Amino acid sequence: MEMDRESGKLEQIVSQFRSKILHVILDSRVPSLHHHHHQQQQESLSHSRVRKTDKWFNLVLGDRPPALENLNFSLRNLFDPMVIDIILVHRGSCSSSVDNLYSPSAPAAGPADETVIERWVVQYDCPRFIATPSGADASVSYKKIYKKSIILLRSLYTQMRLLPAYRIFKQLSSLSQTYNFDLVYKVSSFSHPFSREEESGMKEYIFAPVEALSGCLSVSVTYRATLSDFNLEPLVSLPPKIITDYVGSPTTDPMRSFPSSDKGAHATSFPLRGARPPSSSPFQRPHSWSSGFHRGFPSTKTQSLAGSPPVYRTSPKPYDIASPPTDLYGNRIQNQRVSTLQQVTAYDEYKSSPPFSPSASPSTPSYLSGTNPLLTRHCSETAPVTIPLPLTGRSTRYLSPNSSDPSRHSLPPLSPRSSKHDASSQESPSGIRSYRKIEALRAGESPSGLSNNYSAQKVVRDSKDDSGRFSALLSSSGSPRIGFSRSSSRLSFQDDMDDCEFSCPFDVDDVDVSDSSRYIPYSFFQSLCLYCFP
Amino acid sequence: MNCEVCQLKELEVEHFEIREVLRCILHTIVFHRALGLVRPKDVDLELFEITYVQCGDVELEKKIDEKIDHFISWVEKHPNKKSQICLSFYEVKSKQPSWFTNKTERLYWEQWYVNLNVTQHPKHHSSKSHHTKLVVDPGESATEERSCRRAMVEASLREVLFQIIKFVNEKKDHVPPISEGVIYFPYEITIPSSSDSAFGMDMIKRMLHSGHPTMLS
Repeated sequence: MEMDRESGKLEQIVSQFRSKILHVILDSRVPSLHHHHHQQQQESLSHSRVRKTDKWFNLVLGDRPPALENLNFSLRNLFDPMVIDIILVHRGSCSSSVDNLYSPSAPAAGPADETVIERWVVQYDCPRFIATPSGADASVSYKKIYKKSIILLRSLYTQMRLLPAYRIFKQLSSLSQTYNFDLVYKVSSFSHPFSREEESGMKEYIFAPVEALSGCLSVSVTYRATLSDFNLEPLVSLPPKIITDYVGSPTTDPMRSFPSSDKGAHATSFPLRGARPPSSSPFQRPHSWSSGFHRGFPSTKTQSLAGSPPVYRTSPKPYDIASPPTDLYGNRIQNQRVSTLQQVTAYDEYKSSPPFSPSASPSTPSYLSGTNPLLTRHCSETAPVTIPLPLTGRSTRYLSPNSSDPSRHSLPPLSPRSSKHDASSQESPSGIRSYRKIEALRAGESPSGLSNNYSAQKVVRDSKDDSGRFSALLSSSGSPRIGFSRSSSRLSFQDDMDDCEFSCPFDVDDVDVSDSSRYIPYSFFQSLCLYCFP
Repeated sequence: MNCEVCQLKELEVEHFEIREVLRCILHTIVFHRALGLVRPKDVDLELFEITYVQCGDVELEKKIDEKIDHFISWVEKHPNKKSQICLSFYEVKSKQPSWFTNKTERLYWEQWYVNLNVTQHPKHHSSKSHHTKLVVDPGESATEERSCRRAMVEASLREVLFQIIKFVNEKKDHVPPISEGVIYFPYEITIPSSSDSAFGMDMIKRMLHSGHPTMLS
């Protein structure tokens, strides 16, 4: 009886240790989660309250991200290793010039490279023969183990700040700039071995294990010794440039035919940063979630494993029961339970299905296949404006989308973007639009005004087309908020919705491509000026 | 109980780097020995691209800063000398009252030696002389040399921090049990006193108290 109690305490320590380590690692490597935690910490500091989870291992870290609850549930088999991969997602070099965006000869943005730059492995090995200590010895034993675990966690916390990846994390966490790279993570109960080439640039550090009578808790990290090989750079903002030869300009010949679509002159989106259009190669993202990462999973089952920290604290209190996770719109997901346990055994890599289409396979998202539907859809949300025609001897008329004038200068009404335009438009890389990091932190916000209905349409469409992207995004963040795993340097669905008002000031996708005249809404010019000259 | 001793790798630092380097090292050690409830605080060094962790205790921070100030004063009086700062952790044991003493006894269970070699920049030294022409033309080579030197110090400091992590990981059995409500173990920071011999005597006394120390390189 006594043995069972002590053994249960040990399991509790190991289980909480895994959660705590995961919290420490994600908090020091994933910018989006760090922002979330930092905000909460600011609140908790003012109230000086210590949560129950903070008391474990005497390390106050603040609220655990919701994803951790689900991961805990999925990885609750203590004897399965917990493998946490920190992945650097790096996009190719981008042009900073507006001209290049429209230039047919400009090279497209390279595909995003994903490299595992750190791999943390937490393992609890069960020895072949388990010694059963007597009552008093067992009590002393688990206290010592707890103390050693505290020390181990301290050293891990310090080490995290000394490894090369921390610098990247700090860069991404700063709100002053956006970059052509991002950090995401993947948690699973096993790991794919590194290739020889990958291994050659990696170092390993094995923390001294904490040995218990019923098992041995060990932590190791394999990390890239240097990240200077990656061309990690901030995205350069566009130099201010006034476009003078727009359609309708007094200096422009109204009868002039502008370059055709293949030259990109009728790009429907205006990149806010000097980013390059995405390449046509599919975006390969590891579907990095352990099966436990699924919003539908209630976290209540983890509570049986959790308890109060050992004797160093006051009376044991029940573990906080986390609220069920929510979907993108803050709705509680009630019926999204997926048989992930089956998936655990069936698949080599754990994959989670996106919240809106649980049956969708985590396919490669298509948005980088030479187009960026989200961006262009974004652009279609801008309200059209009237453009005064130059006095060229014809009667002055104003462009108005609502005009009944059958003039071909009229802008058509807003409509969902056709796929034809998707293929022909110049697209900026997905990562460009998340230039505002604050937007990345907001969840469930919908744009106002004209865009509401359209954004709803967009959501539905996205859930069908980009399910892989959702699943991947979800897998890397673990947050109910779509795209929350990425820093704002990455494209996120949320960013698209938030930025619709001015990130892509116009959308001419609905203009007939065959029309030799090109109409650029005045709002584009206004937005350009506003954006270039904030 | 054995007293575990860790001799940290010697660092060659300039006067203006002392404060940051010592803060980094001392706080890192204490963080690993502050096993009570702490709210870790990340601190970015200004001179180097290193982030270290403090345990967030204001009192502790003040005491460490005070000791560093004393050390800097000592260095100013003893320029270009190698020096050692000792951070010791101990347990308080009440001694059997005797005729001569009724004090409590400190049982040191861990000692850290921070070895510094404080150098002065040659240019700084020459500029002090009245009879020497001030060298006014650092040029690119001096800047490069400075940044190269800075990088070396940063790398050495990083090595010292890894050394601390390695030590705390490998040696855990000697750490006393954690007392409830106590954030960090009682500690003592010893800096060189005005006379070197007195400093040496302090160290010998401590060694006698702590028994047979285990020297670690």
